[in-house]
Formats: sequence, structure tokens, C-alpha cells
Amino acid sequence: MSELLTGLLQESISGIALGCIYALIALGFTLIYKATEVVNFAQGEIMMVGAYVNFFFVTQFSGMAGGLNGWVFLAALFCSIIFAVFFGIILDYIINRPLKDEPVFSIIMATISLAIILRSLTAMIAGPISLVPISPFGDSTIQAGGIVISVLDLAIIISAIILMGLFFFFFNNTRWGIAMKATSEDSEAAQLMGIPVKQVYRMVWVFAAIVGIISGVLLAPRMALLDTTMSYLGLKAFPAAILGGFGSIPGAVVGGVILGIIETVSMGTLSFHFAWIKEINDIIVWIVLIAVLMIRPDGLFGIAKVKRV
Amino acid sequence: MKRIVSIIILSTLFWTGCENREGSPGITDTEILIGNIQDLSGPIKELGLLIPAGSNMYLDYINEQGGVHGRQIKMLVEDHQYNPQKSVVAAKKLIEKDQVFCLYNVVGTSPAEALRPILEESGVPLIAPATMSSSMADMSRQAAQYIFHTDAGYDLQTRVLIDYILENNPDAVIGLCYQDDDYGANALQGCAEAESNHSISVQKEAFQRGATDFVGQTMNFMKGGCTDVIIGGIVREPVTIMKTAQAMNYKPNFYGLIPTVDPRVGLLAGEVGEGFIAPYHAYYPDSDESGPTLYRELCDKNNVPAKMRGIYHYYGFATAHVLVEGLRRAGKFPTRERLIKGLETLNNWESGVFPPITYSRNDHTGVESLYLLQLQGGKQIAITDWRD
Repeated sequence: MSELLTGLLQESISGIALGCIYALIALGFTLIYKATEVVNFAQGEIMMVGAYVNFFFVTQFSGMAGGLNGWVFLAALFCSIIFAVFFGIILDYIINRPLKDEPVFSIIMATISLAIILRSLTAMIAGPISLVPISPFGDSTIQAGGIVISVLDLAIIISAIILMGLFFFFFNNTRWGIAMKATSEDSEAAQLMGIPVKQVYRMVWVFAAIVGIISGVLLAPRMALLDTTMSYLGLKAFPAAILGGFGSIPGAVVGGVILGIIETVSMGTLSFHFAWIKEINDIIVWIVLIAVLMIRPDGLFGIAKVKRV
Repeated sequence: MKRIVSIIILSTLFWTGCENREGSPGITDTEILIGNIQDLSGPIKELGLLIPAGSNMYLDYINEQGGVHGRQIKMLVEDHQYNPQKSVVAAKKLIEKDQVFCLYNVVGTSPAEALRPILEESGVPLIAPATMSSSMADMSRQAAQYIFHTDAGYDLQTRVLIDYILENNPDAVIGLCYQDDDYGANALQGCAEAESNHSISVQKEAFQRGATDFVGQTMNFMKGGCTDVIIGGIVREPVTIMKTAQAMNYKPNFYGLIPTVDPRVGLLAGEVGEGFIAPYHAYYPDSDESGPTLYRELCDKNNVPAKMRGIYHYYGFATAHVLVEGLRRAGKFPTRERLIKGLETLNNWESGVFPPITYSRNDHTGVESLYLLQLQGGKQIAITDWRD
């Protein structure tokens, strides 16, 4: 295999893993947006909370078990997901319900406030000193045809695929999934048709919290240090959701992966062969986003809303 | 008539003298008020906790010994969240409302740089800005006469590392991985200087602050055949790059700038970090010099938790020495002008924490030499003498 191709493949795999994290965060945006038409700007912070909560459970359980082992990580993941369920219910109660009939702008402002509160609360509880996250996979890698794949990256990619598949199936093939789509389309009509809209909303927030928490669990070991700045990655996932088409689950995946690959390849092979790329590395994602939106204003997988006039 | 004129002149002289004695804002008979601006709730809030804690530990020690000329030193800390605009607001509050005597240790290059106009306008000195950018010691810039830098710049650090690499291997192919901001810009300045001195070309790869993925940059260094790679990051970057390189079976010599002299680099990198070299501009906290010995004693006495001890906490402790010496030299009746003049009398001054410091009217650089530390068995070991 040529050096160029090996390099591109190596960077692409790393980019896909990074993109899957973006995709999971974007999925959180998408889930809430699909059902409530609200953009939750606190999704990055929900992810950060997930990383901290998982860290707490891992350290507690490893203390009880007298060391780290696979069961400790599984038990911690299970408890983190249970936490996510309650966290989602609380968010529904404090953000969604009181503001349900208020203008969308008010709800968005509430999610921005929630983001600030979650960041501050986490810093207050965990303290300002960064934590050292523990990876269940250590530094293990797999070699395949001159390409090195970290087991952690592989786990991120597989987890993301499973989660996306589950949600895609849920939205298209289950009664609750279709109820969510109907609620998103017209909540009043859905309610008249017998759909329990309040429960649908609660479920959406719970799902978004679960996705957020899992993305935090997966991302933390990749960060080497765990601190509240992790939440800023939420902002990076936002263009991924727009690129894929806001509200589209496959769009969130494709948007996230495209951005992840662009970021890694532009820092690597492209910068190596074209030095000027280094100068625009931080804006290259936005250039691609604008270019795509010029051709497809609703994103790659977005469906244009047409109104009869 | 002559008598009246004499009385007026004498009274004026008397009041002028009294004013000098009552002196500057922030000074009372019992207290000296200092203003510090840190990031308490922004991206580097960890430093906002550790640096002032280290400073306060030394200031408390001085206060217990009777303070400076009988006055206790009190430090107020404001938050700028690493935002230059908020840094200006905080400085205005400290200078105009709290009436501090001087500013000390404002953290971050851009938040410290943003204060130049207010320093110029108010004449308030800024002692030991907590930034390693050498721009703070550039005497041609606005308000430079009020700023006393302590740290060795990133440019000097980069240059010293390149000199060291080429001394040991004249055929070395050097790579520099730099953060795409003012930290990296200053490192690039030193790199350009070294490139011109040695007639070499260094392969440069950028990364964005907060990046988690360094596969592209590591592969580029590998493709470029770099034998020695300098990483201008903090903790995450050197650890991730070294681990990524190891996974790719790429084994250059790795180096970092001063922020990478963090014990967590060795802890997180494990075996991969063995041999990692970075410069340092003060006597290392583990060494037997008087400053580090006092540091360890005070940490034990004050029960400073192990997780707080380290280069940032020590940094606050170390820079507080320069502040206290400046206040001493400002005399019994300190004014801001006397503080500046006092600091400018430092001539090869031995603090016990930094190498000898000299300030003059035309030079506020502070530390101008470094030595190199190497990770050996997870510990930082000095491998060179001071170099500049």
C-alpha cells in the first residue's frame, strides 16, 4: 500500500472515531429537536456530566472490588445509564415542562442557562483540578495492513453504530418512535390522536441524556485529562448536525463522521502536502459547512419543508 | 510678608512630605493590598486555584514573620475567565474600587496584554504576569516600564531545546508541534531564531487548543523523518502524541516546553514518557536549593494536599518572592514609583527559587536562563546546567 494511502486510511479511521463522538452529541441535538423543535445547547454539558459520573462510579466500584476489572467498568456504565434516565426526567421537569408553550427562543435560552449551570456545578462538586480518566481498554491497539487502530477508537465506532442503529429502528419501527415523530410534526394533533405528548417529551429528554452520558463515557479516556472544557466539544458537534440535516438521525451520523475525517486529514496529509492548509485548519470545517449548505440548504439528509401557499 | 511666605512654603513642604509618607493607594500603616487576576471559572481554572494558593502560602509565611516593613500583605483575587475584556474590568475594579497598590500574577498572555492601556493610564505596576510569552518583557511596547516579567519566554525555551538537540546530534531532523495561538506564536519566534542561527529548517505542525486527536501531526513528523519532536502543549498533547507515535512504532526523541513539566505527563505517559525532556526556569520543587526546601516545609506545615503540589502551586510560591522583594525595596514609605525603582535595583538577585534576576530601567525580562529536565523512572531529573 502506498505511503499516501496508508496515511489517509490511518487518519480517516482516527477521524471516524472522533466523528462518531461528534455524531453521538449531534444525535442528542437531533433527538430533542425531532420531538420538540428545540435546540438543546446543553448537550455538550450533558456529555461532560456523563464523563464525571462514570469516573465517580468507576473509582467507587474499583475501591469496592479492590482493583479495576471489566465488571467494574460494566457496572459503572450501567449505573451511569441509570443516572442518565433520572437526569433526563429531571431535565424534562425543569426545562421542558414549565416552558412547553413558551416561545422556542425562551427554551433555547433556558438550555444555554442549563449549560452554564451544569459546567459551574460540575466544577464546584469535582473541584477545578483535572481528573485522570481510566480507559477500560488501556493503550491497546490492533495492527491491520500497516494501519494501527486503537481499541478505544474501535469501541467508540462500534458503540456509535449500535446506538444509531437502535435509534433509527426505534423511530421508524416502533409505536413510541412514530409517536415521537408525530409529536414533532404537530403536538396538538398528536395529543388529539391519543398520543401522550408529555410522556413522549420525557422519553426524548431521557434518550438525549443517555446518548450524552454514553458519549461522555467514551470520549473521556480519549481526552487524557478530564475537565469541564470537554463540554466545548458540544459546539463542534453542532455543525455536524447542521451538515447532516438538523433532525435527521442518519444525517447526524454522516455529518459527524465527515467533520471528524476532515479535521484529522486536514491536520495530517493535507497539511503535509499543502502547507497553506495549516493556516485555515480552524476554519476548514466551517468552509465545508457553508459549501454544503449552499448546495443543499437543508443539509445532506435534511428534508426541505414545503408550504402550500 | 516674608514671614507669611515662609510659613506657606514650609506648610507646603510639610504637607508634601506627609503625602509621600501616606503614599499610594493600597498602603496603610498595617497593610499592603495587592491585586491578582486569575482564571477562576474559565478554561484554565485549575491554575486559578493553584497559583494564588502557592502565592498565599509564601505571603502568609512572610506575614507571620512580621510582613514587609511591619505591613501585612493582603492579596485580592479577581476572575477573568481567560477573557481579555473581563481582565480589563477586573483590573479597573481592583485599581479604582479596591485601590490596590499594584497588580501581580495576571494569568494568560492575552488577559495580561489587554491591561497595557490601564497600566499606562494608572501607573500601576504589574509584577510577574503569569505568562511565558516574551512579549511581556518587550520594552518597546506600551506600559512596558510598569511590567516586571519573571518567566523565560517560549521563544527562549524553544531555542534552548533546538540548540541542545543539535549539540547532541548535528544531523537531527527537528519537528515542532505548536498550539495555534499566542503560545505557539511565541514558540515559533524562538524556532525561527534557531533556524537562522543553525541554518536548518524545522518541520512545523499546528494543533488547535483542546484538540484530542494528533494522528495527522504525528504521521507528518514520521513522514518528514523527524528524529526529534518538540511539543508545545501542556499535558494532554505530549501524552497523546507520544502514545500515538508508539502505536505507530515511530520512536523519535520527544521534548516539551515548560508547561509540559507537569508530573501528570510522566504519570499518564508511563513507559512511553521515559526520556521526555523539557526546560525549566526555576529550581525544581524537588531540589535541595533554599527555595524548594522552604516550599516543601511550608507545604507540609500547611497540609497542602499532594494533588495541589506541583509546578503551578510552586509557580505562585516562586513569583511571590519577586513581589515581596520589590515591596521590601520600595522602602518604609512605599509608592508605586518606589516599587518600580526598587525592582530596578535587583542585580543578580538570588531568590532561592529562580536563577539570579537582574532588572534595570531598560530590561524587565527576569529569568533569562533555563536548564533541562528529563523523565527518568517517572521522575524529573536535571540533565544540564543553566543555559541561555
